[in-house]
Amino acid sequence: MERVNTVLEIRGAQHSYRDQRALSGVDLDVRAGECVALLGPNGAGKTTLVNLVIGLLRPQSGTHVRLCGGSPARASTRRKIGVVQQSLGFPATLTVLELVTGAAVRAGRSRATAGPVLAELGLTELGKRRAAKLSGGQRQRVQLAMALVADPALLVLDEPTVGLDVPSRRRLWNTLAERKARGTAMLVTTHLIEESAEVADEVVVLDRGKVVAKDRPDALIAKLPDRTVSARTALDLAALRGLPGALWATLDGRQATLATREPETLVRALLAADGALTGLRVEGAGLEEAVEVVIGQTMGAAA
Amino acid sequence: MNARVLRVEIADELRGILREPTALFFSIVMPVAFFALFVSLYGDQPSGTVQRGTAMIATFGTFGVLSVVLLNPGTGIAADRGSGWLRAKRVSAVPISSTLIAKVIATMPYAVGVLTAMTATAAITGNLNGSVADLMRVYVALLIGAIPFALLGLAVGFQASTNACVAILNAILFPAAILSGLWMPLEILPDFFGDIARFLPTYHLAQLALAQLTSAPVIGHLLALLTATAVIAPLAALSYRRARP
Repeated sequence: MERVNTVLEIRGAQHSYRDQRALSGVDLDVRAGECVALLGPNGAGKTTLVNLVIGLLRPQSGTHVRLCGGSPARASTRRKIGVVQQSLGFPATLTVLELVTGAAVRAGRSRATAGPVLAELGLTELGKRRAAKLSGGQRQRVQLAMALVADPALLVLDEPTVGLDVPSRRRLWNTLAERKARGTAMLVTTHLIEESAEVADEVVVLDRGKVVAKDRPDALIAKLPDRTVSARTALDLAALRGLPGALWATLDGRQATLATREPETLVRALLAADGALTGLRVEGAGLEEAVEVVIGQTMGAAA
Repeated sequence: MNARVLRVEIADELRGILREPTALFFSIVMPVAFFALFVSLYGDQPSGTVQRGTAMIATFGTFGVLSVVLLNPGTGIAADRGSGWLRAKRVSAVPISSTLIAKVIATMPYAVGVLTAMTATAAITGNLNGSVADLMRVYVALLIGAIPFALLGLAVGFQASTNACVAILNAILFPAAILSGLWMPLEILPDFFGDIARFLPTYHLAQLALAQLTSAPVIGHLLALLTATAVIAPLAALSYRRARP
């Protein structure tokens, strides 16, 4: 029963670019109606993994990737994927309607399927507008419409909210939540971790080509720090990371941010180490800090 | 190949040309303007069995057709790569052959437009003495014979940026046009031009088109163009495989 539900199955994914290893033994499953958020710093292997899924990279030895039971290398399998790229330039001369009907035909579907999808995304009024005259938010919605018109089993979204204003982001996540409820599987890479947590059922954190954490967003947050402490300080990064209670620290100029589960201990230690610090703030930590801590811990372990 | 997908691809390409024709407008205007200049200078001279003004529809027409068929599909692919549109098509399982064929087919109406404008110019200046059937054969020879050049444009487009692609293809087209006698007849150029021309596919395409007016033998020119195709087609395929989507 579970095999039928599994839309995307990745086992032992490994990939190297010449002598540089981008993925090392990544396992991942995405089931129908499930959204998996893929997180990690630049160079973590997210793009390589996505390119394997959408068939732009050939799997190397030992890598098993199956989409609805088929290989993404096959065109018939790739027709089951809808992709929203981070930045896609449409041909400027085509209208929204032409772009979406073209996507429908390319996916082997009827031109008539474009109308309902345009309506779903609030694009009906823009049907005759040329791509060159669309705003960033409108372009992203058009790209999503082009992906959804194929009624994909798996929707792959690469940083889908980059450059969008808050209402556009909200609208996008709402649309994705509706599609998820209708059974579409989703794989999302994003830096806006808190937002994706609203839609994601599982967060997979990648770092240097390996899965370093995999859990429900709320479970990941519960395991990890619940407070961030920030201040302007003269301490260096090594000193900050060595403070009692500090799980993770960053330093931007003199502005330090630390994650902790023991805020009182950390604040006492911080004040003892730098009595001249200013702008001390203690706030609730979120998923973003959790991910940073996971990556920081694995880097520490590796060192 | 899926006929529905190919129709959509061709329709999209034609819309692109019709709705924003600036680039191709210059591809037509410049060759036709040069043709008008050279036909008024040399058009009334004899060239074998035909008037030179008519012969120049074949030679100058070669330049006109190539300025569209060599440049447009290549720069189109380069632009599609740059914008991510080609990647989107690859992911959506559109056969690359559909995309490439559509780009080449969409340039054909413009190539016919160039040839028609040149024919009209030759007629207006009183330098047209070929039959309609002869001229049709010239058109067909040039349109089909331009295919290896379209492949060359695509090979460059798969590797270079849009601007670099335009520069590289022009750097190929203009010297080849001069050395092949497409602008000025080889007879009035120094002998070494003719020696070099025999090794250029542009020369053989022009001579193949010219043979449609003069009934000269075509087999050598056909073989030269087939050889060029046999070399350029794998090059284009290799360029595609190595292209970053």
